[in-house]
Parts: sequence; C-alpha cells; structure tokens
Amino acid sequence: MLLKSETYRHQEALAQYCRDGISVNIPGTKAERLPTYRRLVFNVVKDTIESAFPITYEHLKDDHWDEIIYRFFSNHNCQTPQIWKLPYEFMQFYLNTETVRLATHPYLDDLLLFEWLEIELYMMEDISYPNYKLKGDWVKDIIAINPEYRLIKLEYPVHISPPSRLIDQKGVYFLLMFREKESGRIQFNNLSALFAFIIETLSEHPKPMEEIYADIIHLFGVNDIQLLHNKVTDFLNHYLDKGFILGFRKH
Amino acid sequence: MNGKVGIGFRRDFADEFLSGNIIQPAFVELAPENWMNIGGYWKKQLNKLAERYAITCHGLSLSIGSPDELDFNFLKDIKDFLKEYNVKIYSEHLSYSKCNNAHLYDLLPIPFRDDAIKHIVDRIKTVQDFIERRIAIENVSYYTPVAAEMDEATFIRTIVEEADCDLLLDVNNVFVNAHNHTYNAEAFIENMPLNKVAYIHMAGHKKVSDDLIIDTHGEAIIDPVYDLFESTLAQMNPVPVLLERDFNIPQPIELQEEIVQLQKICDKQWTKDHAIKI
Ligand SMILES: [Fe+2]
Repeated sequence: MLLKSETYRHQEALAQYCRDGISVNIPGTKAERLPTYRRLVFNVVKDTIESAFPITYEHLKDDHWDEIIYRFFSNHNCQTPQIWKLPYEFMQFYLNTETVRLATHPYLDDLLLFEWLEIELYMMEDISYPNYKLKGDWVKDIIAINPEYRLIKLEYPVHISPPSRLIDQKGVYFLLMFREKESGRIQFNNLSALFAFIIETLSEHPKPMEEIYADIIHLFGVNDIQLLHNKVTDFLNHYLDKGFILGFRKH
Repeated sequence: MNGKVGIGFRRDFADEFLSGNIIQPAFVELAPENWMNIGGYWKKQLNKLAERYAITCHGLSLSIGSPDELDFNFLKDIKDFLKEYNVKIYSEHLSYSKCNNAHLYDLLPIPFRDDAIKHIVDRIKTVQDFIERRIAIENVSYYTPVAAEMDEATFIRTIVEEADCDLLLDVNNVFVNAHNHTYNAEAFIENMPLNKVAYIHMAGHKKVSDDLIIDTHGEAIIDPVYDLFESTLAQMNPVPVLLERDFNIPQPIELQEEIVQLQKICDKQWTKDHAIKI
C-alpha cells in the first residue's frame, strides 16, 4: 500500500474516536475540534436509526435507547454504503448481541422487525408481477398474488398494540405487509393462521384452491367445508379489492 | 449545463420539483447512494425527475481517502446508476468515510501528506478506469488538520493534477476553511487548478463561534461567499453551478431567489466575455 502505516494510524485513530468518543491524542490536530467530528458522525447514525424505528425509539428513549445506539456504533462495523439500509444492520445487531438485548422487553425483536420491514418493502427494488388475468375461478384456477409482500409470524402483536401493552399479549400472530402497485404505499393486515397458510401456499407452491382446501382440511381439521369455502371466498374477494390478490395466473 | 445553476434534490421538496413551477433549476444533483437499488414510490419519482431535469451525482460513500480497499461491488452499482440516468457529472469528496471495514457516513479529514497523495491518486485512477469516466473531486470543509505535512491547497492541487481528474470546487467550503484555519480564501482559490474545475458548489453555513464555522448546508448563502464566487468565476471558464441546501429547508421561493442570484453572477461573469480565460 502506498499509504504509510503512520498516516494510516492517524486516520484509524480519528475514525475510532468518531465511533466510540473515547478521547485520543492525534498529532497535528486541534484537540478542541475533535468532538465536533464525533458529534457530526454520531448524530447522522443516531438520527438515521431513530427515524427508521420511531415506535421503538419513543418507547425506549428515556431508558435504554442511547446505550443501545452507543454500543451499536462503537462495536458494529457498518457495512452498507447506503445509509438507508443501516437500520437493517442495527436490527441484526440487536437480535444477535446478547449483551445488549433487554430481557425485560421480549417484544423488541418483533417490533424492530416490523419497523424495518416497512422500510424494506417501501424502498426495495420492484419485483416483476406474474402474468395474470382478472377473470377466473376461485377454486379451479391458480390465484396470482402481488409479489411485493412480507408475511411474518410474530409472538407479540406489535402491529396492533402500543409497546407498553405488549408484554401481556404473547401469542401467535400473523402480519401481512404489501406494497400497493400504483401508490407504493404499504398496507398492514393482521391475518389468522388459516389465511396466512393460504397466502404462503399460493406464494411457495402455487396450485388451485381446490388442492389447497385438501391441505387445509387435513392440517386444520375443518369439518364444515361449505363454511370454509364461504370464508375463504370472502377473504379472496377482500384482498382482490385491496390489491394484494391480482387475479388468476395465465398459463 | 455549463454556466447554469442547478440545485440538490431532496425528498423534502420533491413535490415542488415534480409538479410545481417555483423552483426552476437547470439541472438537479442527487446522492446516488440514496437512489440506487430502490423501487416503489421513490423510483417512480426519480424517473419523473429524470424526465424533467438533467441529473448530476454527488456521491457520499466512495471514501476515496480511506485506507480500506475500494468496494468494487459498490462502484459497479454506481456505474450502472450513472448509465441508467445518463448522468453527466459524478463527483465525490476528498475525504474518507470508511475505515477498518466500517462506514462512518460523514466526511473525515485526510492527513495532508505525500503518501496520502500517492495513495489517493492511485485510487482515483482505479475508480476512473473502472467506471469509465472522469470523476470530479471536491474540496471538503474540515475542522481540524490531521498530522499535516503540507498546506491544503498543495494537497488538493497535486492530487487533481497527478490523478488527472476533475475538481469540484466548493466555494463555500473554501470560505469556511479559510475562516476556521485563518488563511486567505482568494489566495487559496488562485492556488487551485482552475482549468480542472468541472463543477462548482455553493451553500450556506453556520457560524457557531468566533473561530468556528460549520458547513451545515442549512442556511442561505451569505454575501462574502457570493463575492468569493464572483471573483472565482472571473478567473475560469463556465461550468455547472450547484446550490446545496440539505437542512432547514425554506419556502421554495427563497431557494429560487438564490438560484436567480447565482445565475445573475454566472451571466455577468461568463456571458458578457465568453473568451477562453485559461
Ligand atoms: Fe459541496
């Protein structure tokens, strides 16, 4: 490398100081100006994370927030050159760092994921839609769905309740988030396990509803087939109106 | 775009750019990092923007002064983006924002030293070869020198000349640095390779104490910076001029007034006498 190790060490010392704020002596600097860099650098990261996770931030800002941000930026090597993707690294850091995880707030994993996925879905590159037609048969044809979606299973209803009420609501929840084609807006939908199963099947192993019905009867132990059919048809029509179900796959 | 004034594009006032008619820049500048690899709403807005305006790109994360290796995956994304939007000027900061495999997302000052010059010259050449175009390197504002062995002007001039790249001359940064490090701004500009300037930045700043100005891009341009701008233009040929405003966004009409003011100075210095100056 053309850079001498001494020059490199000075650059490294300044960068490290900006990350952890632990005072350093760097020759040939105005010592009183170094905190300006620490503040500028740290605030960019802090602001980015806070605006990406507004609910989490509001919930933790009085207690734990600053400590988590500090630990994140001083310990984690930020990898993405695109700062709008940094909140993903923050979420991963929290999920995977035992020493920062808050045992008193077990719902934070779900909350961070929920807030990040909204950004990811909103910003992610367009995924091409399948070829579809609007007319078809709900039972015999293969239903086409909007590919720009995330379906997640949660332990806490972070999409329904404020954080202060989550601790007593542990259970199983399914959240469907999808991006509207024209507006790019994100819709959030709480789903039952049955409807989550249907969507997952339509996405992973596309087949006609009549075959999915057979799976449902087997898995969910349904007896009243007509009631099931009516409920599913209502569900499909509802999500057709919402723009999540597009229509029917063209062969 | 030469001799014309553009403005930095921000999501905060995207609607005004796309549907309004108050702000009338000749082109717009954006940070490719904030706009590449995206889809959905903002991709559509970006495409509309590109239909209406010519685009220049001012990068954030190249970290040309970094001890770290260049990130070629990132550069490939940049290259594709520049091509997709037919971007005429790609500029970056003469600073570093990544060290020891960690991005810092801000502009740290490079030690003004011979070995740093050699290192950076080599990297600029590599980048230019890889993206198959010239890059304009910007003089940044800095609040402390770091282990300097030469003055800032020598450092910048040598890099631009040896790397054979373009210079993005940020006139406000010259003003800010001249104040913070007590040197003469006009003399500094005369020391720049003005024949290599491909692009000019103008912006506002904030004086936080008698001996410290912070380059905030959050205020209107002040008169002494306009004066420095005018005396600079008098010494060089027309290039595109950009108004940077990133924070504390005022009413659109106020931005347009700044664009008009800059354009007047460009016209005064560059159109009455179109003879080659250098
Ligand atoms: Fe600039």
